[in-house]
Amino acid sequence: MTPMDVDPNVLTPRMARILEARDMTAQERFFHLQLPGALAHRPGQFVMASIPGIGEAPISISCGPRHDGQLELLVRNAGSLTRAMHRLQAGDFMGIRGPFGSGFRLAEFEGRDIIFVAGGLGLAPLRSLIEPVLAEPRRFGRITLISGCRTPADEIYRERMQAWAGLPQARVVRLVNDTAHLPWDGEVGLVTAPIAELEIDVDNTLAVLCGPPVMYKFVIMELAARGLPNTQIFIDLERRMRCGIGKCGHCQINHVTCCREGPVFRFSELESLPEALT
Amino acid sequence: MRGFLATRTAVLDWLRTLALQEDVFFPQPMGENSFSFDKVRKHSTLAFEDFDAAPAEKPFRASACVQPPGKKLSPNDEQIFRFSKDENGQYQLTPTLDARKRTLAGVRPCDLKAIHLMDRVNRDGIPDAHYLSRRQNTTIIAHDCLQPCDEHCFCEATGSLRWRQGADIFLTPQPEAKLSIEALTERGERLLDAAGFPPCDDIEKHRALAEEKRAKPFGRHFDAPLQQVIDTVGSSWASPVWDKHAERCFACGTCNLVCPTCYCFDLKDDFSIDDPHSGQRTRSWDGCLLEEFAVVAGGHNFRPQLAARQRHRIKRKLAWLPARFGDGSFCVGCGRCGHQCTVHIDIFDIANDLLAATEAEP
Repeated sequence: MTPMDVDPNVLTPRMARILEARDMTAQERFFHLQLPGALAHRPGQFVMASIPGIGEAPISISCGPRHDGQLELLVRNAGSLTRAMHRLQAGDFMGIRGPFGSGFRLAEFEGRDIIFVAGGLGLAPLRSLIEPVLAEPRRFGRITLISGCRTPADEIYRERMQAWAGLPQARVVRLVNDTAHLPWDGEVGLVTAPIAELEIDVDNTLAVLCGPPVMYKFVIMELAARGLPNTQIFIDLERRMRCGIGKCGHCQINHVTCCREGPVFRFSELESLPEALT
Repeated sequence: MRGFLATRTAVLDWLRTLALQEDVFFPQPMGENSFSFDKVRKHSTLAFEDFDAAPAEKPFRASACVQPPGKKLSPNDEQIFRFSKDENGQYQLTPTLDARKRTLAGVRPCDLKAIHLMDRVNRDGIPDAHYLSRRQNTTIIAHDCLQPCDEHCFCEATGSLRWRQGADIFLTPQPEAKLSIEALTERGERLLDAAGFPPCDDIEKHRALAEEKRAKPFGRHFDAPLQQVIDTVGSSWASPVWDKHAERCFACGTCNLVCPTCYCFDLKDDFSIDDPHSGQRTRSWDGCLLEEFAVVAGGHNFRPQLAARQRHRIKRKLAWLPARFGDGSFCVGCGRCGHQCTVHIDIFDIANDLLAATEAEP
């Protein structure tokens, strides 16, 4: 076999120092990290985040591209590793490998109206695209964000969304399924409802979706009803990546690996992947 | 290409000598009818089958070791890195790359093709340093098959019976208890130069002799040519055939465990028992037939049905990975999954049933 140059650290993380750690909701903790070198990620990519001795899990990158080795993650407490991460404080370290995955290419969105639909924690990865798009209003068209979660207590990035709502090029619709008797300044309902009332220029609009699997079917039906073709809908999928380099098999959807060809797909690409959204 | 002709005994003695310098692995009897691909030790029982061996002759049908030789290149629970944490909370992480010299000897063509496919997988995209470090330090001595190893074999049908690529040295059974020996790489040439076997000028003639002796047809054959099998498996999605074979499956993952081209894995962390500030991450084999394989955080399972997981495995072997790598079937026809399965679920039968089901469609 012909020898080849390989990175010996392919499965070994770099340790990032935690600059800031705070609870955003009862379930989600926000981390601002400093890596020893640049991460050079695209929006929609993910990292493998770990605590040595405890484990490693795929976490979406939640900030836009930057070149100073800093990154932001929003971690839901969903298992033994993420529970341990919720105990980490500023000054502690977290292991990071990556970035991995296809991600979004900003150039594809140039000049287009964009509809973002986020369900729950789905807003965390979408923020990595929303922020660079909003940062250059002249480069993109009208921006709409529809973000839904269960109750006001589950809402993430509230202040961010309120700030985005104040920008002239952006419209933000924040929803909850149920106010749960808590104060709430948004709307009540499902993320599908506002789509019916949107002004959509079908030829020049792209939709970007991220949320739980159950959300996609209904949002896509609603967008299709408004005439948006499948080629103009992007979906950011969740799978249980273990390696990030297309080898471990866990994130395979039919013939594609979510960590390499995905996790961002055009919906038209998913039509040949029956296991993608179920 | 340099060739040699030596007795089987001389070659085995040479392997024993080699085993004094580095780890040499060779098929060895395990129980009555099984073989294990194990390290050659002082008192190991080593043998090659006879040129004139009858198809059913025991005990030496050593080709189908329960575990394929390629698994030595990505062992279960291999260490990926070690770590330690100092009093300031700073970590020190060191990747573990195994660069020890080793030899896999008596590797059959099906398993050789499987190793070639694993080379492709591990070099693809972002390469896997841990596998490649081991692979680059491994010598492969392959051995041709003149008879199918058992009734499960279908290597000719999957295009791996005549596979030679990836071997450093290739052995072919010859009459009078001999083996013809060919160097296929520079590494192989260096080894054979030092071995001192009697040279052979007409190696082609000896290969032809073996080809003539080879069983025809060799092992089981699909009911259609391989490309048609690949096309049929590729286009079958909602077929009742998947349910038929899944009905008796226990989802135990044995098929994954013994398959020479199953490479899915999981990563696990441990703290050291002696020192809670240090530990390791290891990689262990995983299997797509196991229920929790496609579960994500929060508990959603993307392949909860057994039939869907079985379909996933079969389509990886006979459709998806062949399409991705363009190197033919990822099922190499070794027959292990069907042989080891408690309820005799055999990828060969599934493929044939899919062919029949497709034929029956209007």
